[in-house]
Amino acid sequence: MTLEPGPSAPGAAERRPARPVGPRRTRGYQVFRGVNGVALTLVVLVTLYPFLNIVARSFSSETEIVTGKVNLYPRGFTAATYRLVMSDPMFWTNYRNTVYYTVVCTAVAIVLTTCYAYVLSKPHLKGRRALVLIAVFTMFFNGGLIPNYVLVTGLGLKNTVWALALPNAVSVFNLLVMKSYFENFPVELEEAAAVDGLSTYGVLRRVVLPLSKAMVATMVLFYAVTFWNSWFSAFLYMDRQDLFPVTVYLRNMIASASDASSLGAGQADATQLAASIQSVTMVLTILPIVLVYPFVQRYFVSGVMLGAVKG
Amino acid sequence: MFHRSARLVAAVAVGAMALGLGACSTGSDTDKGEGGKDLSKNRTGAMQAFAAGQQFKATEPVNFTMLYSNHTFYPEKDGWLFWSELEKRTGVKLKLTVVPASDYPSKRSLLVGAGNAPFIMPKTYPGQETQFVSSGAVLPVSDYVDLMPNYQAKVKQWGLQNQVDTLRQADGKYYVLPGLHQDVWEDYTLALRTDVLQQLNLQAPKTVQELHDVLAAIKKAHPDVYPISDRWGTHPDWPAGALFQYLGLAFGTQSGWLYHNETWDPTAKKFVVTGAMDGYKQLVTYLNSLVKEGLLDPESFTQTDDQAKSKLANGKSYGMSTNAQTLVNEMRPGLAKINPSAKVAKIPDPIGPAGEIKNWSRLENGIMISSKAKDSPNFVAMMQFIDWLWYSDEGQQFAKWGVDGVTYSKDGSGKRTLTSDVDFVGLNPKGTKHLQKDFGFSNGIFAYGGTTELLNSTFSPEEQEYQKVMNARTAIATPPPHPYTADEQEQIGLWETPLKDYVKQQTLRFVLGQRPLSEWDTFVSELNGKGAKDYVALVNKATERYAKDHAS
Repeated sequence: MTLEPGPSAPGAAERRPARPVGPRRTRGYQVFRGVNGVALTLVVLVTLYPFLNIVARSFSSETEIVTGKVNLYPRGFTAATYRLVMSDPMFWTNYRNTVYYTVVCTAVAIVLTTCYAYVLSKPHLKGRRALVLIAVFTMFFNGGLIPNYVLVTGLGLKNTVWALALPNAVSVFNLLVMKSYFENFPVELEEAAAVDGLSTYGVLRRVVLPLSKAMVATMVLFYAVTFWNSWFSAFLYMDRQDLFPVTVYLRNMIASASDASSLGAGQADATQLAASIQSVTMVLTILPIVLVYPFVQRYFVSGVMLGAVKG
Repeated sequence: MFHRSARLVAAVAVGAMALGLGACSTGSDTDKGEGGKDLSKNRTGAMQAFAAGQQFKATEPVNFTMLYSNHTFYPEKDGWLFWSELEKRTGVKLKLTVVPASDYPSKRSLLVGAGNAPFIMPKTYPGQETQFVSSGAVLPVSDYVDLMPNYQAKVKQWGLQNQVDTLRQADGKYYVLPGLHQDVWEDYTLALRTDVLQQLNLQAPKTVQELHDVLAAIKKAHPDVYPISDRWGTHPDWPAGALFQYLGLAFGTQSGWLYHNETWDPTAKKFVVTGAMDGYKQLVTYLNSLVKEGLLDPESFTQTDDQAKSKLANGKSYGMSTNAQTLVNEMRPGLAKINPSAKVAKIPDPIGPAGEIKNWSRLENGIMISSKAKDSPNFVAMMQFIDWLWYSDEGQQFAKWGVDGVTYSKDGSGKRTLTSDVDFVGLNPKGTKHLQKDFGFSNGIFAYGGTTELLNSTFSPEEQEYQKVMNARTAIATPPPHPYTADEQEQIGLWETPLKDYVKQQTLRFVLGQRPLSEWDTFVSELNGKGAKDYVALVNKATERYAKDHAS
């Protein structure tokens, strides 16, 4: 989704005659770029606005929020809500859980997915088709919620990080992307390494993986974002609040603010949470991902295309 | 993410059904084998003689598992005085499965479906238990209420038997222990800017006609203001459901959050189609006139709560629906910061052609029990414990107010006062500790229902005033029980939601003037085309069958 560097392209092209310049000069292309730029700017504004609004609300005073004056920037600046949320020990406990779960789950997922994908990329593997089918089958069919729950509980995984890590360890989509990437990996390199005496694992570890950093980084990002954002598995398999990830904490907080007052009569314990508490919790929750994203993003853009085109 | 939870509910429902079918086929033989209920093996820890008004104390320490809906405002803490004092008084330790309140029903369905449910499942609203009945996973509590003297005493004393009967399923048993109120508790009504009324020399309206006139007078004085701009416009069940609820009652019908496709007509002694009632037409006509004359903001049915509150705070509207909590927590703070001289207060629910009435239901959310509990050696003790904590006067007072001398004190006249450093609903704003957050009392899981005196004991004087007016009104007749057979249930399920959605949609169109009221008769025939008549006929059939089968 990144725009190519600026509309100053014609001038730049002049200095580098080696590159083909033809279509960029045409009028149609200029119009296309113009329209494209406007459309994408609109998309950016539409997606950015709610985000900025949340940030602005999180720093605004209650009065300004209640009267609906907060739009793009904070009004009546205050960090009081941040102090309040950060003073709740359960928030930090859950935050720590999220970090822990994300690290463990991503590590497990990346190891298993890489190994599976690498194996599947080898055409001489017997039963390769069956192994692919088994994986793809799970994309379309699953045992269902209750059987899964019974299984995870029966294995004694409930209330442990493994209940989150193991059932979600292999994302079939990621697996297939990785498989097709490995399939395009120059086989000569692997053969050379084998000739030099490396075992299969040695080839994977010392030759293939070091040359696949972009791919692995992309997968790490994919998995990490998914695990960071996920609340559902934790909600199912965790029975104590000190085991919840921060997403469950956040969801509960937002839901109680929007439902509590509206459940009909008899909700004596309905207590509305101020709008700024929600925004503050949201900002604190997405902050790490927002901070990490720009640095991994360049892998993301190049990596996701890797393996997409065969040739 | 909300999308996902809808899928979850669907998945769980299917799963529960599948299990239900499986369990049905095997369940029936075991039932026969059991015969009567011999509980002699389940009395470990139980008191020999446990009577109403008596303190329950297990004869040996016992543990019960319980599902716990965790509230964000007062998240569960192990150190709460509630837990330690409970253990001291009853010898019972509750082992909790903590679930975020946001997704409590989903997790409850999952656990019941997986056969993994804790024994005690509180916060189950009447109707929510129906989906589990066929699976045999929940206990038919009506078979065991003889273990619960306090519960039985309250049902008898407060004349609640006919209301409890409405919970019965097709097998004549009920599966949830409801919370019991001594009197109907009305909470939702309209709140108006009393300072504006005073300025214009207007009295607070008592009837729907007076309400219309007062709003018209406000509009005349402030033409650029909507006298009412209502909230809950984005409520998934019914937009502005509170407004429709109390006005519907005034016109002798059911609308908004109280809407059911069928309404009990006590004079004809049968159910009628709600949307086709005369009262319903009057309600729609009335609301339409409010919108047409600019007295009610048409955005009331679409705007978010924040927008509605912001209009009120900025003086662009002078009233909206409320309950006791939202009035104090949401309307007043916003208003006070912008316009300190503004005053807003509840008016008693406006009286309509149906007279000075209030709704019938005195049941609350309650407790569902896993059928596995019955096989526990501590089963009897558990039922006695539930009876004491949730249904005895002493237990209810303990759950709500805490420990005499620690969190509150009681004077000679029986009036309770919070200890000076303990705050609750703003009764002690300077208190450093909070009754719910720091002690675990007045917790929605344990403290609800009970005597009117107990209910009112934490209300502010102005709320008590409102309650006094509402308590004086007559409750409408309790509709008779009409449990469906499995086939009927399926048929009802096919009709129910489409009918409701259609009525809701057309109600809003009529109110907003998008559909002329002259088309009312067409609307009624459309309703019948969607099965409204057959639906009500089926309800009436079920009613008669139940009455015949259970004639005493």
